[in-house]
Amino acid sequence: MKSRVLNTSMMASLTAVVVVLWVMLASVPKTSAIPAFSRKYGTSCTTCHNNYPELNDFGEAFKKNGFKFPKDDETFVKQDPVMLGSKAQKEAFPEAVYPGQIPGSVPISFRYSGFFNWNAHQPAAAVQPNGPYPYVPRTDLFAPNTLTMIAAGSFGENLSFWIDDDISTGGSGAAGGLGDGYLKYNDLGRFFHLPTNALNVRFGQFELDLPFTQARTIYLSDFDIYDQVGFGGVQGTANNPFTLGAPQRAIEFGGYPNNGNFAWSVAIVNGANDGPALRGQKDVYVRASYKFNLERDPESRHAIQAAGPTGPRDHTSLRVGGFYYYGTNVQNNGSTVPLPFAGVPSFTEPFYRVGGDLRFKYRKLEILALGMVGHDSNHIYDGTVDPPTLTKAHPVTYTGGFVAGNYWIYPWLIATMRYDFVNSPSDFANGVSQYQTRNRFSPGFQILVRANIKLTGEYQYHWAQPYPNPNDTATNLFFRPSTFVTGIDYSF
Amino acid sequence: MKPVNLTVKAALLSLAVLIAGVSSFAGDIKGKVSVQGLKSAANIAVYVDAISDKKFDVPSQHVVVDQKKMEFIPRVVVILQGTTVDFTNSDPVGHNVYWPSISGNKKLTHNLGTWPKGEKKSFQFNDLGVASLLCNVHPEMSGYVVVVATPYFAVTDNDGNYEIKNVPAGKYTLKTWSEDGKPTTQSVDVSGSGATADLTVKK
Repeated sequence: MKSRVLNTSMMASLTAVVVVLWVMLASVPKTSAIPAFSRKYGTSCTTCHNNYPELNDFGEAFKKNGFKFPKDDETFVKQDPVMLGSKAQKEAFPEAVYPGQIPGSVPISFRYSGFFNWNAHQPAAAVQPNGPYPYVPRTDLFAPNTLTMIAAGSFGENLSFWIDDDISTGGSGAAGGLGDGYLKYNDLGRFFHLPTNALNVRFGQFELDLPFTQARTIYLSDFDIYDQVGFGGVQGTANNPFTLGAPQRAIEFGGYPNNGNFAWSVAIVNGANDGPALRGQKDVYVRASYKFNLERDPESRHAIQAAGPTGPRDHTSLRVGGFYYYGTNVQNNGSTVPLPFAGVPSFTEPFYRVGGDLRFKYRKLEILALGMVGHDSNHIYDGTVDPPTLTKAHPVTYTGGFVAGNYWIYPWLIATMRYDFVNSPSDFANGVSQYQTRNRFSPGFQILVRANIKLTGEYQYHWAQPYPNPNDTATNLFFRPSTFVTGIDYSF
Repeated sequence: MKPVNLTVKAALLSLAVLIAGVSSFAGDIKGKVSVQGLKSAANIAVYVDAISDKKFDVPSQHVVVDQKKMEFIPRVVVILQGTTVDFTNSDPVGHNVYWPSISGNKKLTHNLGTWPKGEKKSFQFNDLGVASLLCNVHPEMSGYVVVVATPYFAVTDNDGNYEIKNVPAGKYTLKTWSEDGKPTTQSVDVSGSGATADLTVKK
């Protein structure tokens, strides 16, 4: 029998991977350390997460209820809260401070993630100083390497909070700083005799009520459309650093009446209000969605989770929604000196983002889709004339979105696939990509070694990027900076 | 053999009849309180509601509510209308006792003041309802005085069991009060051998 002989280096790598996998799957001791909510209720992460941090139907209901069990929460709490005043103190108010409570134990969890990166070869002519791109090593161990602290819980019946901070440096998502930090008042609507949870309010810094979360996504890469900015470059002055995926400082009113099937939110947002984007204008974001519960059995349909043959499962459902963001970017207002456009007064460039989304769930399959349009007002600045001129120009626009599918082969083994696309004429004109539409395919896998430990991997087949042709600088060559990322992620 | 004195015989017979008669006219109401949506079935007051045209003498014996280790002990006490409660302090810190209302009637608010270990203050509760006991030195402390119209009452144990002793035979309305649950009402028919009544308290 002919045996296949493997390259020695590949054999060593393969052996190492197998050993690591075997060690992780077979001999990792059962962890006794569990994140804050697991500790509070003495329950596994899988009660709320089907693939953390993604929430199942029960987890969604838990989150919407102010991080409390949807029904009879007190009976499930294993760590009694500390009462800041007895309940009877309510009677004494306003002659006494209104009573509250804090979690019985400090509700802090930690999440670590570290990844091995394999990067496609970069042509020499594409890398600095010869070309425009920074050098990227072929392989990189444990980068990004992040440690995030998460504190969340409830302060009694109607108040809930969430704080997460990337306490490492160079981390993804929070970029080494505060991600979300907010306080929420649940069921404000009861004072107006509205249905339960029809009106809530939260304020602080948080990810907007996006159709699909980027801060707490299962994927190892951002949604390209969320990171898209409105930048004119050679096409004009538009220079709007706002990205949909970044956490925002805002006040948000929202609600989910009708058992959470209908959801709405309106947020007054500070916007991309740092550095050159510093401005006084406030933005607004609105979103509405409806989840069609497609369970046939009425009992399953009305329960928080449907009844499966081996246990509860998510409802078969279709959620459709829409969102709209409106803001005003201001340039030449003194937030950057010297002024980027000398000789002209400050000027505004309104912008909007609008889109629609859907999510379909059926048994082990989940399909996500989002489409979006971005529009930034734009000007042409001519500083060569005296006095300099500023004239309205064709707006900077883009479209894009993504389609993704996740399939639970087993409750602990999930296959993922995502397709991102962005069509940006201005980015194409500014030399970002080979074609006006940038496409990216990202197949991946997630393995829940334990309820709180994941082994993940994602291959990102990147769009082609230009670099100067060393033999003819008037033309460009193209290469794909594809990458394979795999690593570990655990919480406690 | 000497004949038994007839007077003694008559006395013994009367005593036997009396004992039998008393037994046939009073019994204990026993039962278990179950809860739905509440964490515990302990400290739930169970009592016989007011009986029309029936008044009861105010007991001369006082009821004691202590303050020890930053808690009111007992946490829930049921008393007959008109009973005096002695509030004692067994902690090495000063405590205060006040209630902002009795069953929501803020006109019945009262503050007994603050006193040190070893001393007591007393108050006679003449109004029906529930007084939420608070300490304005220690906001986490709370207790309850449930003032009812009859001397037939009990407080459930940790398992929700209760026993109301020596209830005269007859038909009554049984009621419950709990800190977090809704009041419940149930009819009970007490015979000479007593009665069993299980109740459910919901959030």
